[in-house]
Amino acid sequence: MDHREKVSEVTPASKPSAVEAPPPISPSETLTVNLICGLSLALTFWISNSLYSIDLVTDPSLTLFLISIIELPIVILLFSRYRQNRLQCSYLRAVGRGILGVPVGALLNSLGAIALGAPVTFQCLPKTLAWSLMMSLFTTVPASCVLGSSWADWKRIFAHTKPNGSIEYLICLQAHGAVIGGWFGAWPMPLDWERPWQEWPISVSYGTLAGYLVASVASLGFVLAHRSRLQHVKNE
Amino acid sequence: MSSISCTNLALFTIAALLLQFIGLYLFVFSFFPVKPLLSGYSHSESFRRPTCDGVVNANPDEASLPPDRIRDLYQEVSEMPPTYDRLILMVIDGLPAEFVLGKKGQPPSKAYMEAMPYTQSLLANGTGVGYHAVAAAPTVTMPRLKAMVSGAIGGFLDVASNFNSQAYLDDNLLAQFFKIGWKMVMHGDDTWLKLFPGFFARHDGVSSFFVKDTVQVDRNVSRHLGDELSRDDWNFLILHYLGLDHVGHIGGRSSALMASKLSEMDEVVKMIHSNIAYDQGKTLLVVVSDHGMTESGNHGGSSYEETDSLALFIGPKNHASDHTLSYHDTIFQVDIAPTLALLFGVPIPKNNIGVLISQTVDSMTDEQSLRALQLNSWQLFRLLQAQLPDLSCRKFPCDAFITNSGPTISECKGSKEELFCCLYSNAATLHDTWRAEAVIKSNTTEGYNTIVAAYHEFLSRASEWLSHKATDRPVSLLAFGVAALITSCLILLKLLFVINKEVLTLEIQDVENYTKPWKLDEGFIFFGILILVISMGSSSMIEEEHYIWHFLTSTINLLFFRKALQSFELNKAVDDLISLGIKNYTSGCQISLLFLTLFSGRILKGWHQGGVNWTNLPDISTWLEQAGSQYINLIKIASCFMIIMLGIFVLFLLQSKTKVVTVIGFSLLMSSLLVLQHFMKHQDMAASYNKDATFSVQVFYAILGITTVTVVLVLPWIMPMKTREMCSKWNLYMSAAVPAEVHNMTPIFVLKDSLHVMGCVYITSWCLLQLLLQRPINAMPLLLLNVQILAYMLAFSSCGSHHKQWVEITALYNLGMAGHFALGNSNTLATIDVAGAFIGISSHSTFLSGVLMFIITYASPMLFFFSLVLYISIKVRICPLVTGGGNSGEILKSLLGFPCLVPLSINSILLSANTIVLVLMRNHLFIWSVFSPKYLYVCAATACVYIGVFIVVATVIYTYMVLFWLRKSLSITSKETVT
Repeated sequence: MDHREKVSEVTPASKPSAVEAPPPISPSETLTVNLICGLSLALTFWISNSLYSIDLVTDPSLTLFLISIIELPIVILLFSRYRQNRLQCSYLRAVGRGILGVPVGALLNSLGAIALGAPVTFQCLPKTLAWSLMMSLFTTVPASCVLGSSWADWKRIFAHTKPNGSIEYLICLQAHGAVIGGWFGAWPMPLDWERPWQEWPISVSYGTLAGYLVASVASLGFVLAHRSRLQHVKNE
Repeated sequence: MSSISCTNLALFTIAALLLQFIGLYLFVFSFFPVKPLLSGYSHSESFRRPTCDGVVNANPDEASLPPDRIRDLYQEVSEMPPTYDRLILMVIDGLPAEFVLGKKGQPPSKAYMEAMPYTQSLLANGTGVGYHAVAAAPTVTMPRLKAMVSGAIGGFLDVASNFNSQAYLDDNLLAQFFKIGWKMVMHGDDTWLKLFPGFFARHDGVSSFFVKDTVQVDRNVSRHLGDELSRDDWNFLILHYLGLDHVGHIGGRSSALMASKLSEMDEVVKMIHSNIAYDQGKTLLVVVSDHGMTESGNHGGSSYEETDSLALFIGPKNHASDHTLSYHDTIFQVDIAPTLALLFGVPIPKNNIGVLISQTVDSMTDEQSLRALQLNSWQLFRLLQAQLPDLSCRKFPCDAFITNSGPTISECKGSKEELFCCLYSNAATLHDTWRAEAVIKSNTTEGYNTIVAAYHEFLSRASEWLSHKATDRPVSLLAFGVAALITSCLILLKLLFVINKEVLTLEIQDVENYTKPWKLDEGFIFFGILILVISMGSSSMIEEEHYIWHFLTSTINLLFFRKALQSFELNKAVDDLISLGIKNYTSGCQISLLFLTLFSGRILKGWHQGGVNWTNLPDISTWLEQAGSQYINLIKIASCFMIIMLGIFVLFLLQSKTKVVTVIGFSLLMSSLLVLQHFMKHQDMAASYNKDATFSVQVFYAILGITTVTVVLVLPWIMPMKTREMCSKWNLYMSAAVPAEVHNMTPIFVLKDSLHVMGCVYITSWCLLQLLLQRPINAMPLLLLNVQILAYMLAFSSCGSHHKQWVEITALYNLGMAGHFALGNSNTLATIDVAGAFIGISSHSTFLSGVLMFIITYASPMLFFFSLVLYISIKVRICPLVTGGGNSGEILKSLLGFPCLVPLSINSILLSANTIVLVLMRNHLFIWSVFSPKYLYVCAATACVYIGVFIVVATVIYTYMVLFWLRKSLSITSKETVT
C-alpha cells in the first residue's frame, strides 16, 4: 500500500540490457545490516537525548536531521557493498549513486507528503525537509546504491512490488514499511487530543520508524524463506 | 455463471432503495423526538399539588370560562399576585451575550461598551439584570423561539423544519397569555406569525430570508415603536430585530456594521425604558437573543460562541444594588419561560424543563417567592412523573410529606426515582413546616434559605436530568429501521458483487491481466471504506472528516499514479519502438493528468481550513479575503473564463464534430457571458440586493435551464441525422466485411457522442450555476474541481487504464466528497451558506430557498453525478463486446450497472454505519451537537445520491430509447424509400 511513488531519476538510462543479478545476501548478513541500522537509530536517539537534550516531540526538525546525518553514511556504506553489476560498478561509484539518491528521494518524498496534506507554510518547511531526508534514507538511498539507475529494476521493485533476490527483498520491504508506517502515522493528526506529538511530522515520523523496524524484522524472515526456497530449487 | 437480467437488476435495486427509504424514514422519525411528552395545556390544576398517581382532574368547565374569569381564577389559586401586568419582549436575533455582558467575568470590549451606553448604564445601576442564557443546539431561530416560550428543548428535527415552520401547538406562554385574554402585538421576524397564527392583534412581519438586507428589516420594526409605546391597549409586545443576525451573516462578528447596529439596538432599549419608567412599575422589558454567532457570523452548532445568548430583565423598579454582582450569571435559555409565567401569574407550560430565575422574584415576599418555587417544582414533578412511571406512590412515599412528625430531611441517594422523590419531598416537607410555623411565630431567614436551597436542589437536578434525557424512542421501530437499512445495503452490495463477477468472467477471456485476485487499488478502496466507517464512531473524526476524504482521495490517486508508472518504459532498447512510443505517450499523458489532479486536490485542501479544531490554521481563503476583494473578483472572473474554456475544449474532443456541437458550445458561451456580465455589474455582492441584480440572475436561471433541458431532450433526435455520414465513414474505416454488424453498432456510437455532449453540458452548466450561487471565494475551488474531474475522465479514457470500472467510479465519488469539504462545508450546521440561498429569488419562497441551499451545499457531489454521464460515454466502447446478442437490456446493464450501483452502495454503507453509530452513541455528550448534524448531512447526501442517480439513469435511458426507436423507424422508412 505504498502511496508515495518513486519516480526514479528520469535521466535517460543507457544501461545494457543484460543485468547481472545482485549478489545474494545471507541471513546472517541481513541480520547484521538490520542490526547496525536499528542500533544506529537507537544511538541517534540516545545522542539527541543526552547531548542536545531533545527528542522528536520537543525539536522534531533537529532530531530528524540528526537521524539523517548519522544514518546516511551507515546506510550508503552498507548497501553499496551489495551493488548490482559488480564488474562495471566500483564501490565508490555505488556510494556516489547513493549520495545522489538523497536529494532525489527527499524531493519525491516531500512531494508525496505535500500531496497527502502536509503543510506547506514556511514554518513547516524545515520539518518537511528533515522528514523527507530521513525518508529518502529508508526508501531511495539503499535502492540507488544497489540498483543504480536501472529503470526496469526500480519499476519492478517499487511499481510492481516484485523483488527478486534477497537484497531486493530487504530494500523493497524496508521502503514499503517506512512509507506505510508513515501513512498510518498521519491518522491521529487531525484528532482533538491536543497532544504535542500530533504536530506534523512527529506522529508521521514515529509511524515511519515503527514501519521501518517492523519491515526490517519481516525482511529477515523473507530472506530466510527465500534462501530455503532457493536451496530447495538448487537441490532439485 | 450467475447472470442477472437487466430487468431483475433494476427491480432489485429499486426494491433495495425503497427498503432503504422506508428504513431511513422510520429511523429518523423514531430516533429524533418530534412529539413533546405531555399534550394539552396547563390549567388551574397546575396550581394544585400533584396527585400521587399523576391523574389530572381538570375542571371541565374551566375551558369554557371567559378569559377574564380565567385570569381571576388563576390569581385566586396561584396565591401570588402578578408582579407586572405588561410585558415587552425584545428579541435581538443572533446577539451574543458576550457583547453586552462580557466573557468570563470580564466586561465586554471597549467598542461594544461604547456602542451600548444606555444598556450598560442600566446594568451598572442594577435596573437591568443580565444573564448568559445557554441555548441548546441547534442554535437556529425557530427552535430557540420555541424553547423560550415553552421552556422545552425541542426535537432536533426542528432544524429541518426551520424553513417550513408550522403553527406551534404545544403548551407555551403565548397560548397561556392568549387564554387569559391578553392582547398581543408583534413586530419583527415573521417566524412568530407562523408559529402563532391568529394570536396577535396587530403585527408587522418581516422576513428573515433576505439576509443581505441589514437596515430595512429593523426599520420596519422600529417604525411602529413610538406608536405602540404610546398606546395602552396591549399587554404583550414582541419586537424581533433581525438586523444583527444579518450583519453577522454578511460580515461576521467583527463586521464594520456591528457597532452601529448595536447602538441602534441600544437606542431602542433607551426609548422603551424611558417610556415604561412612567408606567407605575407595571411593565417589564425583557431583552433576549435567540442564539449567538461564531466568529464568521454563522450559527447552528453548539460552540460557546453560538450558544451564548442573552437574557436581560429590565424592570422599572430599581433592584437592589447587589445584583451588579450577578453581572454574568449563567442560566439556561429554557429558564425564561417559567420565570415569565410565574411573574405574570399564568400556569407554567406543561413541558417546561426550565427553572425559575430566583433573582427575578426577589422583590416579592418570602411567602410568594417560595410559592413560585413550589409551583415550578410541581410542574417539573408532573413532567418527571410522565417520564418515570415508577415515580408513583406505591414504591416510594412521594406524597407522604404531610407528616406531623416535623421536618425529616434525609440524605438522598439511590435510583433516579428515589432521588427525585426524596429531593422533592425534602423541599415540600420543609416548606410545609415553614408555613405551619409561620402562623405561630415569625420566620427566620435561615429557614427560608434552607427551603430555597432544597427547592433549587430538586429543580436543578430534575431540570438537568430532563434536558439530558432524550425522550423514549420506540425500540421496535428503531430496530426495524436499522434492519431495513442494513438489508438494503446488503442487497446493493450483493448486486454489485454479481455484476462485478459477470464482468470479470467476460473480461478474463480477453485480458490475461486479470489473473491476480486482489489488486492494490481495489483492496485499498475496501480498506478506505472500512476506515471511513470506523472513523464515523469518533466525534473528532466527524468534525475533521475533510482530512479523511482528502487523505483517501490522494492516496487512491497516488495508487493510480503507481499503476500508470507500471506501463511507463524508459528502456529504449526494445524492438517495437512505435508501439512503445504510443504506450509511453498514453501513460505519460496519464501521469501528467494524475499529477494535475493531485496538484489541484492539494490546493483544494488548502483553500478552506474546515472542521472545528484547526480552523485557526492559515488557509488560502482567509489569506485572499485579507488581501482584498479585488483579487477575489479577479480570480472569480478568471475562473469563469477557464471553466467555459474547459467545457468547450471537452465538448470539441468529440470525434465527430457537427454543427450541433458548435451551436451548443455557442449557447454555453452565451450563458457564461451572462454570468460574467452579472459579475462585472454587481461586483460588490454584499451590498447589492436590488431588483436589477435579481432580474439578471433570473434571466440566467431561465437561459441555463432552457439550454440544458433542450440539449438533453433534443440532442438524441438530431444527433443521428447529423452523424449518418459519419457512420458511413466509420463503416469504411472499420471493415466493410461486416456491414450488418457495423450497422447494428451505429446507434451505439451515436449514443456515445450524445452522452458526451450531454455530460459536457451538464458539467459546464452546473459549474456556471455554482459560480453564481457560491460565495465569491469559492470560484477557484469550483474550477479546480472541474479540472480534477475532467482530468480523471481523460485519464480513464486513455487505453492504458486497467482499472476496473467500480474502482474508477469510487475514485470519482471520493473526489466529489473531498470537493464537498473543499468548498467550505463541514459537518456542523453553521457552515451552510444561508446568504446564497436567496440569490435571484424575488419573492419569499421557502421551497425555492431550500432548493438553492441544497444546490449550494451539495455542489460537488452533484458535479460528480453529472460527470458520470460523461464517464458512461467514455466507457461505451466496451459495449460492442457485450452486444453479441444485441439485447438492449444487456447494453443498458453494462452502461448503467456500475455507475448507479457503486455510488448507491457506498452511500448505503455510510448511511447504515452512521445509523448504527447514532444508535450506539445515543447517550454521548455530543449526540446533538456532532452526531446528529452529521446524520442530517448523511440524510441530505442520500437524497443527493438518489437525485444524481435518477438524473444519470433518466438521461441514459431516454437517449437510448430515442436512438433505438428512431433507428427502427428510420430503418423502416429508409426501407420503404428503397423499395
